[in-house]
Amino acid sequence: MTLGSGGSSVVVPRNFRLLEELERGEKGIGDGTVSYGMDDGDDIYMRSWTGTVIGPHNTVHEGRIYQLKLFCDKDYPEKPPSVRFHSRINITCVNHETGVVEPKKFALLANWQREYTMEDILTQLKKEMATPHNRKLVQPPEGTYF
Amino acid sequence: MGGAGDSSESKVSNEQGQGQGEEGSVVINIRCSNGTKFTVRTSLESTVGVFKSVLAQNCDVPADQQRLIYKGRILKDDQTLHSYGMQADHTIHVVRGFAPASSTPAPAATATATAAAGGNPDTTTGVTRGVGSNEGGAFGLGGAGLGASLFSGLGSLGGGASGSFGAGFSELEQVQQQLTQNPNMMREIMNTPAMQSLMNNPELIRSLMMSNPQMREIMDRNPELAHVLNDPSILRQTLEAARNPELMREMMRHTDRAMSNIESTPEGFNMLRRMYENVQEPFLNATTMGGNAGNDSGSNPFAALLGNQGGNQVRDASNNPSTTGSEATGGLAAPNTNPLPNPWNNAAGGTQTNSTTRPNPAGNVRASGLGGLGLGGPGLPGMESLFNGMPDSNQMNQLLQNPAVSQMMQTVLSNPEYMNQMLNFNPQLRSMVDSNPQLREMMQNPELLRQLTSPETMQQMLALQQSLLPQLRQQSTQEAAQPGAPTGTPNNTGLEMLMNMFGDLGAGSLSAPNQPNVPPEELYATQLSQLQEMGFFDTQENIRALRATAGNVHAAVERLLGNLGQ
Repeated sequence: MTLGSGGSSVVVPRNFRLLEELERGEKGIGDGTVSYGMDDGDDIYMRSWTGTVIGPHNTVHEGRIYQLKLFCDKDYPEKPPSVRFHSRINITCVNHETGVVEPKKFALLANWQREYTMEDILTQLKKEMATPHNRKLVQPPEGTYF
Repeated sequence: MGGAGDSSESKVSNEQGQGQGEEGSVVINIRCSNGTKFTVRTSLESTVGVFKSVLAQNCDVPADQQRLIYKGRILKDDQTLHSYGMQADHTIHVVRGFAPASSTPAPAATATATAAAGGNPDTTTGVTRGVGSNEGGAFGLGGAGLGASLFSGLGSLGGGASGSFGAGFSELEQVQQQLTQNPNMMREIMNTPAMQSLMNNPELIRSLMMSNPQMREIMDRNPELAHVLNDPSILRQTLEAARNPELMREMMRHTDRAMSNIESTPEGFNMLRRMYENVQEPFLNATTMGGNAGNDSGSNPFAALLGNQGGNQVRDASNNPSTTGSEATGGLAAPNTNPLPNPWNNAAGGTQTNSTTRPNPAGNVRASGLGGLGLGGPGLPGMESLFNGMPDSNQMNQLLQNPAVSQMMQTVLSNPEYMNQMLNFNPQLRSMVDSNPQLREMMQNPELLRQLTSPETMQQMLALQQSLLPQLRQQSTQEAAQPGAPTGTPNNTGLEMLMNMFGDLGAGSLSAPNQPNVPPEELYATQLSQLQEMGFFDTQENIRALRATAGNVHAAVERLLGNLGQ
C-alpha cells in the first residue's frame, strides 16, 4: 500500500497545520526575509501571531522592519487570517487608518486557498512593497505604529 | 559564501562577556539580511544586548546597528533571550538598522568572508577534516561491506554463519547491521560488478570462508552446515536472495503482518497473554517441582505430564543415559544464548502429539497439552492442517520409527541456529514466540528439544496416549474416576481447564485471520473518535490509515499527514 493510494484528499487539521507553521517560523526554514511566531505561546488555539517583513532592497522600504499582526480564526486555513500592519507603512493594499491589509486589494487573501501559509502572506507582502507602484511611495517615519 | 559562513561558528566561547554562563548554552542559528548564515553558542539567560555584542564578532554589523528578529518580533536589548521563548536550534534574523542603504550588503559580505577564511583557520580545517573522515568512514564501510554482505548472506542461509562472524568481528557485525537496515545500500553493493563476479564464483566465496578460523571450526563441528556451505548452488542462491532486498522485505512484511494480525484482533493480545498464563506459568511451576512431581500430579496437570515424561526417560535410561525428566526441564531455566527459537522443533514434536490428538480431542487433552508446551504449536492453522493429514496414530508411529526420519530430525535439531533460521521463515510461529519469551527460551534449549524428540520419548508418549485414550473415554462415559488408571488420574477440573485453554487458543487463532469481517468502524471506534477530535474528518481515510497501522492512532496520524505531503 503506497502512500499515494489515499490521494491528496486528506485534509490537514487546523492545529496540525498551525504547529507546522510554528515550527517553520521558529526554525527559520523560510526564505529568511520574513519571520513569524505566536504571540501567546499559551493560546491552545494558536490564533494570534506576530510577523515581520524586512523591507526589500532598492526600495524605500529597504532596511526597515515592518511588524504585523496575524489572526488565525477557528476556520483557518479554510479562510485566510486577518492581517494587520503594526508598523506604519504606506502601500496600496494597506488601509491608511488601521493598517489592515485589505483582502480586496491583496490578491493572495482575495483568492485564498488552504494551501497558503502565513509565510506566503508575508513573502507576498514583501513582493508587494517592491512593486513599481509601491517602491517609491513616501513612507511615514520609521518606528511609528498604527 | 555559505561555506565560509558555516565555518565561523562556535567562536563565541572565547568571548569575554559570555564566559560565566556557559553550562546552559545552546546553539542558535543566525541569518543575516544579506543571506549569510552561521550559528553561535550562547546562554539563553544572556540579554539581547550581550548577545548582540557576541554577534558583532561573527558579522560586521556593529552591535548598536543590529536589529534582531525572532518569531516575528524585534528583540529588545534589555530582555533575555529566554524571555522570548528562545530554544536551541531556533533562528534569529539579523538586520542592519539605521545604516545607509547602499553600503549595507557589500561590506558585510566581504568582511564576513575574510573573518571566516582568514581569522579562523581552526574551524575551517576542522570542517575539512570532518569531511575527510566522513569519506574515510564511507570508504571503510564500503570495503568492509563487501565482505560483510557476503557473510551476512551466507549467514542467512547457513544459519550459524552470521552469529559466529558477528562474534569474531564486532565491527563487521556493525557494518552488517547497517547493511540490513539499509536495503538500498545492500542492493547497491550487491549489484556492483565486482560483487557480481564474486558471487558468480562460489569457489572464491568458499575460500573466503575457509580462511576464517572460526568459520572453519563451525564447519568442522557441524558437518551439515559444512555441507551446505560447500554446495555452490546453495551459496549462489543465498547471495541472490541477499541481493534482492524486495524478497527480503517481502518476507519481513509477512512477518509484521502476521504479528499485527494477531495483535489487532480484539482477543488477539489476550489470547497471547492467556497462553502465557495458562500454559507457561503452570509449566514453569511444574518444572520447578519436577523432582517431586509424583505427588502433585493431580493439582498441576503439567507436573503430571512432566513426571510421566521423566519416568519414561528413566526407564529408557539405557538409551538416554544422562537425561531424566527433571534434568530436561531443569535445562529450561538455564540461560540461553541462542537468539531465536526453532520451528522445526514445533513441526517434529507437534506431529508426534497432535497427530494422535486430532481424532479424539477430548480424550487426548493432556497429550496435546504437552505437545503445545514443548512445541508452542497449538492453534497454529498451518500445523493443524499438517496434522490433519496424518490422522492415524499408527501411521505416525511408523513414521517416527523410521530411522531416516528420526535421524533427519536429530540433525536438524542438533543445530539450533539452523532451526532458528527456519523459524524466521514462519511468521506466525515467530510472532507467537516473540510474544512469549519463555516459550522461546524453551524452544532454544537444544537439550530439551533433543530429548522431546528422541524416538524413545516419542514412542513412550505415543504409548501413553494410546493407553490413556480408552481410559479417558471410559472415564468420561462413566463420569467417575478410574481407580486402576494411574496415568489417567488427573482431576477433571485440570482436564477441563486444559480443554478450555486449547479451545480458546484454537478459536483465537482462527478468529485472527477472520478479523476483516468486523466492520472497521466498529473495530477502530475509539481510534476513529480520537482522530476526529484531532480534526481528521474523513472517516474513510481514517479507517484506511488505521487499517494500515493496525489501529495505532499515532502511526495513523503520521500516515495521514505524510500522505498529504507527497
